[in-house]
Amino acid sequence: MEYFFYTKKLTVGYNGKPLIKDIEINLKKGKILTLIGPNGSGKSTILKSITKHLKSICGTIYIDNKSIETMSNKDISHKLAVVLTDKLKTELMTCKDVVSTGRYPYTGMLGILSEDDNLQVKNAMELVNAWDLREKDFTEISDGQRQRILLARAICQEPEIIVLDEPTSFLDIHYELELLNILRTLAEKRGITVIMSLHELDMAQKVSDLVMCVKGEYITHLGTPKEIFQKDLISELYDLSNGSYNPMFGSFEMERTKGDPKVFVIAGGGTGIAEYRTLQKKRIPFITGILHENDIDYQLAKDLSSEVFSEKSFEPISEPIFQSALKRMQSCDIVINCLKSYGEINRKNKALYETALFQGKKIIENADEL
Amino acid sequence: MEKSKSTRYIRYIITLIVLIILFALLILLNIKLGSVDVSVKDIINILFHGSGNETDYNIIWKVRLPRMMASIILGGALALSGFLLQTFFNNPIAGPYVLGISSGSKMMVAMAMIMILSRYHSVNSAVLIIAAFAGAMLSMGFVLIISRRVKSVSMLIVCGVMIGYICSAVTDMMITFADDANIVNLHNWSLGSFSGTTWRDVGIMVSVVLPTSLIVFLMSKPIGAYQLGESYAKNMGVNIKLFRIMLVLLSSFLCACVTAFAGPISFVGIAVPHLVKSFLKTSKPLIVTPMCFLGGSVFCLGCDLIARTLFAPVELSVSTVSSIFGVPIVIYIMLKKRVH
Amino acid sequence: MIKKRCMFTAVIIMILLIMGCTQSKDNTDGNPENVLQQEGNMEFKYAQNFNVDYYKGGYSIISVSDGTRYLVVPEGQDVPADLDKDITVLKQPINNIYLVATSSMCLFDALNSLDAIKFSGTKAEEWYIENARSAMEAGNIIYAGKYNIPDYELIMSGNCNLAIESTMINHTPEVKEKLKELGIPVITDQSSYETHPLGRTEWIKLYGLLMGKESEAKQIFDKQAGYIEELANKDKTDKTVAFFYISSSGNAIARKSGDYVTRMIELAGGNYIFGHLGDPESATSTVTLEMEEFYATAKNADYIIYNSTIDGELSSVEELMGKNSLLKDFKAVQNNNVWCTGKNMFQETTHFGLMISDIHRMLTDNDNDLTELNFIYKLPAADGEKSDGKK
Repeated sequence: MEYFFYTKKLTVGYNGKPLIKDIEINLKKGKILTLIGPNGSGKSTILKSITKHLKSICGTIYIDNKSIETMSNKDISHKLAVVLTDKLKTELMTCKDVVSTGRYPYTGMLGILSEDDNLQVKNAMELVNAWDLREKDFTEISDGQRQRILLARAICQEPEIIVLDEPTSFLDIHYELELLNILRTLAEKRGITVIMSLHELDMAQKVSDLVMCVKGEYITHLGTPKEIFQKDLISELYDLSNGSYNPMFGSFEMERTKGDPKVFVIAGGGTGIAEYRTLQKKRIPFITGILHENDIDYQLAKDLSSEVFSEKSFEPISEPIFQSALKRMQSCDIVINCLKSYGEINRKNKALYETALFQGKKIIENADEL
Repeated sequence: MEKSKSTRYIRYIITLIVLIILFALLILLNIKLGSVDVSVKDIINILFHGSGNETDYNIIWKVRLPRMMASIILGGALALSGFLLQTFFNNPIAGPYVLGISSGSKMMVAMAMIMILSRYHSVNSAVLIIAAFAGAMLSMGFVLIISRRVKSVSMLIVCGVMIGYICSAVTDMMITFADDANIVNLHNWSLGSFSGTTWRDVGIMVSVVLPTSLIVFLMSKPIGAYQLGESYAKNMGVNIKLFRIMLVLLSSFLCACVTAFAGPISFVGIAVPHLVKSFLKTSKPLIVTPMCFLGGSVFCLGCDLIARTLFAPVELSVSTVSSIFGVPIVIYIMLKKRVH
Repeated sequence: MIKKRCMFTAVIIMILLIMGCTQSKDNTDGNPENVLQQEGNMEFKYAQNFNVDYYKGGYSIISVSDGTRYLVVPEGQDVPADLDKDITVLKQPINNIYLVATSSMCLFDALNSLDAIKFSGTKAEEWYIENARSAMEAGNIIYAGKYNIPDYELIMSGNCNLAIESTMINHTPEVKEKLKELGIPVITDQSSYETHPLGRTEWIKLYGLLMGKESEAKQIFDKQAGYIEELANKDKTDKTVAFFYISSSGNAIARKSGDYVTRMIELAGGNYIFGHLGDPESATSTVTLEMEEFYATAKNADYIIYNSTIDGELSSVEELMGKNSLLKDFKAVQNNNVWCTGKNMFQETTHFGLMISDIHRMLTDNDNDLTELNFIYKLPAADGEKSDGKK
């Protein structure tokens, strides 16, 4: 299948100074490409070069097999629409007026909207659930609503590509989900290709077909979310020395507390998560066990705990593991017991608890007490 | 849905009607009022039958009418120029003179007065008009040259202000070296006045201002696109480079015309667009442009009437009157915006 | 590309400007001799800026130094046909005059022709000529607005048939053009360019001609000329005089050497302190001097006559020194020989002869109690004090 949007050896930068070199993107029609990377890495620069707001230093950008250099501003306006981060200072414009400007490439000399144009505007606004805002002044609506209006504007421009620069930056989760949903719908139902940059990695993972990592002088990675959202890749991309990335949840955890742990947490089945977080907040290093590798607690424990005692998934806790856990617990003063009940495969945790009790260790239920 | 659209149209129509009524009223007043009392009956005879007392005939046809035409045309030109620049710079206090035009004109007029009048005893009024126009174009030329190298549009205002300063400095230098007698009238020129307009002047004004205003009207679409900012305008297919040039050219032309014939007249260009927009409750160029022109004409007709009749035979300068009315408007607008 | 276009338009505009100036130079002479028969011309003793030719039938043609010409047609006579287009016709009786040139009011007053004046460019309170002021206060002469923004309607409604403007009108050519458009002929009084003070006074003959009072004009003029002739027999003193005022920017504005004021001083037997000040070719009669430069030369002037017509009469030497403390070192200040003009000086054109004799008295009269003359008065050291000897 042919690529709808592709670049060849694209180098972008400002004032003739290359920022990112040799960018090769191949994007099929109706797919969503998301750019991720640290601030200032050049995501906006790339987007501006695609929309021809910035002159690319060398290389070519193709839309539908035509280089954008050969296309006039007018041609591009029929193919590409943008949603930018610029703060708009409009004056006495209603939301409908703002969206109507999207019809600009299609209206006559004086810019008067025809029946058809008005219909397009209506459809676009209904798609983003903003039709009821049409008479309100553009400056009087919330950020979330504003983004939707700008998206509607881009939609009624009937583009084949929409380029968005950090469209969710000012949005709370409700509107963020809404916006990305709309983008997904546009891509699937109308075959509109979407190129955007996002800060929210979890969203990028969920909404994109293709992800591009922008850092340094070259594109570090370009691939599907599955390929990109790996622990090491993301850690490297964002220079995570002070935290870690968990690809399972698509979430970030703060830094593991260093030091000699004196606290042992007996957990499993999700009971330990809250305690781990509290201990981490209080900067108390800890050890935890015995967890199974398919346990939720295990995921978080690997990032936050100094040492994890674990058993293979679905297997009852074996004796050697139990012994080493026990031994290690000896050197701890405090034991946090999270488990209330025990099952067949983690019965040995009960023994751990009883040993701790017998050894006279301080036993608490809750890390808050520390 | 339907309701708000029709309320909008009603608003436009009402504003138009109000403006037309004011326009007609002020025209009538301007024809009737003056130092000399001419009865309405005589006026009708003079206007439509070409008959009447020769003095009265001359007063109406050669003194009042051309002056009135100047107010209408130049007032409209100023308002349009102001609207263009306010939109372009997205700055509510931008006005026709923000690009340094009045300073450029003043400089050339001073030069003409000094160089020509000190050598030869008299000069044709056309020379001073051309000098003012040339000065305006000179300032505009500098701004254009710099605009090609400048990324952000607000730099143009800085540029205009700087050019204004340079021209003022040069003018002051010329004044220092000149004999008092030669430049005593420069101050008077700077006050701005419609007095002494002839039909020849009116002819030139019309041939410059009307086509330019028409072009502005036809550019409603890109101006409207520009209201969302340069980035969006570019994406919608507007040729930004060409647009910038056109805008500077058009607004400068309009402003230069006014300055050449009547001297600098302040505040019309700043206040009228705001007034008009606040009545229309829209900033759509297609509607605002003609209304602005009409509004500017009405405003100037009113100001000039007051300027010449209030303390007759002493004539106030039109700028004085327009400032007195214009400043409260501008302050009110600033306050209103703050509340937002 | 735009740069080039700008340069191109700039060049065109410059060419137009230059063309504009050449318009105002002396025009060609068209000969009225085809239509009229010359009979003689007016005799002048001192005036150089106008000329009058007499023609058979009582016609006369006035030629002014700015290139304008006027045909004076006596009452009841016809205007000759085929007259040159650039000659303006003035039909007698000339009345309802709009007078802007302040220096000529005095001449009209002396001719008892104030009733011919209807409109003035100066307000009542600014006239020092009694009759003019009272005429305005009585409403016989009406204020018609400043010279650069006159009330055209008012002037037209008064059936004005002549406007007498001063050279200031050259800075606002559109007013002149407008007046002509409205059918009102304009004479620009050039008497300020006369180098001899009596040359200014001699313009009374032009106005006398317009008013039909030529012999009265000659009489008045001859009287003033008489004062001069009297002084011509006296010896010239070696006293030096400085005539100036201090402008708001702190500079000294003095008269150009050879200008009529300096001539008045010379005729009075004094010597203008500046030998060769100013450019004789330049049209302006004043020269601006920086205070130090002025100080260097004028310090040693025996007498100071302060020109108060610009910014007001002074009441004391102290006030004068308030304008610039350097004046303290001036010889004239130290010797208590500081005089001041009355504000009416430029308006009293008919009395220049008397003025000159005033100056002569200032220079020659050793009476310390002499503090007031017709047109100048001595400044006391401080307000309220009587001026006395050296400090």
